[in-house]
Amino acid sequence: MNMVPTIGIETHVELNTNSKMFCNCAVVETENPNESLCPTCLGLPGALPVPNLKAIESITMLALSANCSITKNGMFHRKNYFYPDLPKNYQISQFDLPVGVNGSLEIILNETKETVEIERVHMEEDTGKSVHKGSGRIDSATSTLLDFNRSGVPLVEIVTKPVIKSSKEAVSYIEELRQLVIDLKISEGKLEKGNLRFDANISVAKESDNELGVKVEIKNMNSLRSLEKAIDYEIKRQTKLIESNEVIIQETRHWDEDKEVTSSMRSKEGSADYRYFSDPDLPNMILTDEFIDNIKKTIPTLPSQKRDKLSETGLSNSESNYLSKSEEWIYNLFLETQKLTNDTKSTFNLITGELQGQLRKAGMEKLPEWLTSEKLSEIIKMINENKISFTSGKEILTNLIQNEMSPSKYAEDNNLIQDNDSDEIAKIVKNVIDSNKEVVERVKDGEEKLVGFLVGQIIKSSKGNINPSIAKDLLLKEL
Amino acid sequence: MNVSNLSISEISNLYKNKELKPSEVYEEVFTNASLSESIIHAHLKLFQDEATEASKLSDERYEKGNPLSDIDGIPIAIKDNINLKNHETTCSSKMLSNYVSPYDATVIKKLRNNGVIFTGKTNLDEFAMGSSTENSAFGPTKNPWNPEHVPGGSSGGSAAVVSVGSAVASLGSDTGGSIRQPASFCGVVGFKPTYGTVSRYGLVAFASSLDQIGPITNSVEDAKILYNSIKGHDPLDATSIKESLVEIPTDKNAKVGVVKELMEEGISDESRKEVEKTIKLLKENGNKVVEVSLPLTKMALSIYYLIAPAECSANLSRFDGVRYGIREAGSTSYEMMENTRAEGFGEEVKKRILLGTYALSAGYYDAYYGQALKARSAITKDFENIFKEVDYLISPTTPTPAFKFGEKTENPLEMYMSDLCTIPANLAGIPAISIPTGLSKQDMPLSIQLMSPARTDSSLLEFSESIEKLLSFNQRTSLLEDMK
Repeated sequence: MNMVPTIGIETHVELNTNSKMFCNCAVVETENPNESLCPTCLGLPGALPVPNLKAIESITMLALSANCSITKNGMFHRKNYFYPDLPKNYQISQFDLPVGVNGSLEIILNETKETVEIERVHMEEDTGKSVHKGSGRIDSATSTLLDFNRSGVPLVEIVTKPVIKSSKEAVSYIEELRQLVIDLKISEGKLEKGNLRFDANISVAKESDNELGVKVEIKNMNSLRSLEKAIDYEIKRQTKLIESNEVIIQETRHWDEDKEVTSSMRSKEGSADYRYFSDPDLPNMILTDEFIDNIKKTIPTLPSQKRDKLSETGLSNSESNYLSKSEEWIYNLFLETQKLTNDTKSTFNLITGELQGQLRKAGMEKLPEWLTSEKLSEIIKMINENKISFTSGKEILTNLIQNEMSPSKYAEDNNLIQDNDSDEIAKIVKNVIDSNKEVVERVKDGEEKLVGFLVGQIIKSSKGNINPSIAKDLLLKEL
Repeated sequence: MNVSNLSISEISNLYKNKELKPSEVYEEVFTNASLSESIIHAHLKLFQDEATEASKLSDERYEKGNPLSDIDGIPIAIKDNINLKNHETTCSSKMLSNYVSPYDATVIKKLRNNGVIFTGKTNLDEFAMGSSTENSAFGPTKNPWNPEHVPGGSSGGSAAVVSVGSAVASLGSDTGGSIRQPASFCGVVGFKPTYGTVSRYGLVAFASSLDQIGPITNSVEDAKILYNSIKGHDPLDATSIKESLVEIPTDKNAKVGVVKELMEEGISDESRKEVEKTIKLLKENGNKVVEVSLPLTKMALSIYYLIAPAECSANLSRFDGVRYGIREAGSTSYEMMENTRAEGFGEEVKKRILLGTYALSAGYYDAYYGQALKARSAITKDFENIFKEVDYLISPTTPTPAFKFGEKTENPLEMYMSDLCTIPANLAGIPAISIPTGLSKQDMPLSIQLMSPARTDSSLLEFSESIEKLLSFNQRTSLLEDMK
């Protein structure tokens, strides 16, 4: 019996606006509770909400970038439910007229391009934070403290259609969305800070069934790792239930990070009635053509557009995907350097391998300004032209990270230029063969791994100035 | 000098000419309040010390010849659902009996900057829900014309203080008639401005799409002065309008429509006759008066009692005992909220929250709230169309003069009917004013209501001033004289 999992993901993205969604309070990052508050975000009697234009620009940009149709005459609704950290006991959100509908995001899964369809993109305000004492969860807490710093922070909710088929695809989608909001500069996109928070709706059905199975919502996944694990766990759990003809209950389940299991939070059978109605404190959200056009003009190169450009250089989908999710300067450095070297593979390897590694080791987040694509291509070219060894290239790079200098001059000054004169090399090869007769015999008897030892001897006696591949070729010819 | 008979502009001129001091006026209104409060209970709080201090500062400004405005030193009372910094805002509810506001409403800020003296906070029906102040958790206000009668509501306290002279003017709020109906019952002027021309920031919301702050005064001119000092776009209120006011005829060229449906069944003879009397005066003045029909106004009450409770059910959710107000213990946070709300809200408030929650519930939304929204748009359209034919509409403000205590508490529908004529203006968002016209057989005040197109507030006030002159009704309650 083949089982088909279907997954939909709801993601909340915290925008990086200076002020909150409906008041002038600063969005703050602080350990001190209740620092950034006013009558509006504290829900005091008589206080009113005024929409943050910057947030509406941000969500419009995101909806356009996710290929959504824009609702030109939208509105805010009140979502009514009681909770201690929700100051008004309703959340200002959007219901049937969200900013964006029917969009899609391209993702790369392994080497394949896939499309994740987006159902809606809507604007809402965040709640405060409950800090449960004595236990992390409300049911077993001895007391609860409330921090309203987060109350009213603008959130964008992005809901996919139930189209995702695996945990890997889900992870890939979140990575894509995260990169998108970073590139659009509308969110810090830091998962560890809760800038992106996601819930997954998972159902499993027999392949022979033509409809979706019972939907179970999973909450409390704080990282991509927990997203992947929780989905895998839940698919397994539901599959087992179906196989043993047991009933799956439509419910919300909590991902337990320590035990790596999901457990029931609440049943959806008596599901909450949020009594949505248009918020009478807020006028309709009219997005004019002019407003939308102006936003369109400010949209930077999107991750999918970056990948298209990268693929043109000959990179594979996964390599392009990697660079599209790297920092802007790495992406640009690759494109500029590749143009100069015309060698996609070496350029990709040097930048994503050696350069990023060395920078990390040196504790540097950015490239020194003198380390230009010209200098980098100089190194790559010297390696490609066998003027220096790859090892020497690495050495030059290490020094170039610390000091401004010319790679070729450095190579000359430090005797890194390889001797590519075959006669000269031939002499050395002959010497090595003569002084290692025993090893040579064993090679001839079939112990091929000893070739490496001989090559090493050749390079050693040339003080590292011989191109290893040339040395090997000559050695094999002699033998 | 009997200040109660002076208008704001007269007082202001006396101040400027140094013939009268703000502290003297304040002293007089405070004396009036001290005398009348034991009978009418119109104030929830008097700011004696603070107001005395403020009046002396105002004295100094006039002394130096630099008053802050034409209303500097005018004593004004505030309905207790409008936030005044560092004072209680109780909304006449047990729920907020201990709540002290940390901020000023926008209208308060404006008045403060103009040098107004705040005399105190006035009584109302709990959270402005009611038509008699009988729903106040702190006891009802009595009508200064006859304490056996209600002062109307919900701004009953604000109307009573102006009527009795314990403030020169007051602010009220009007969701379905809460300024005009009590003004009518107490024989004073009550003006509900165009929705969005006065900021709602700091007014504790009852039904956000209907609520509007406005003045209650002794004369139309006073209402105009007060309105001009509180109106204007407010960046803190997203529903406040940026467009400026528009003008329509205010002289004998002004054409007046009599709303047929508001002159028929349910309207007492006494109330109808006041409208007829005014029509006669208008015609004599040369104005054209025609009968018009607004059939949908008959549905106004039903529409209102879906929209207002629906909005209030969400607006009053915030009162949960978590952050402010009273708190009743419970073994879980939800139980604490439930107990707090059970204890903190009065019967009428609970009734409306339940009604609104029901109207918004899944499966009922389309039939109730959704339908009410559609009908509301239709009424608004009807008004727009009728205003293509006439400049103003005239009707009674209330179907009857002030009724007696307890007379309608047993029958909520009858109580709701007292807002029959005032509710349509709230649904359509248009300005409306109640002007006193005479006395009933029982010596209770009678009035008429005038309505005009959205954003013609200044014209409406100007036209009302001329009608007020034609009516020349200027009787006051003799409550204080009788006491002295």
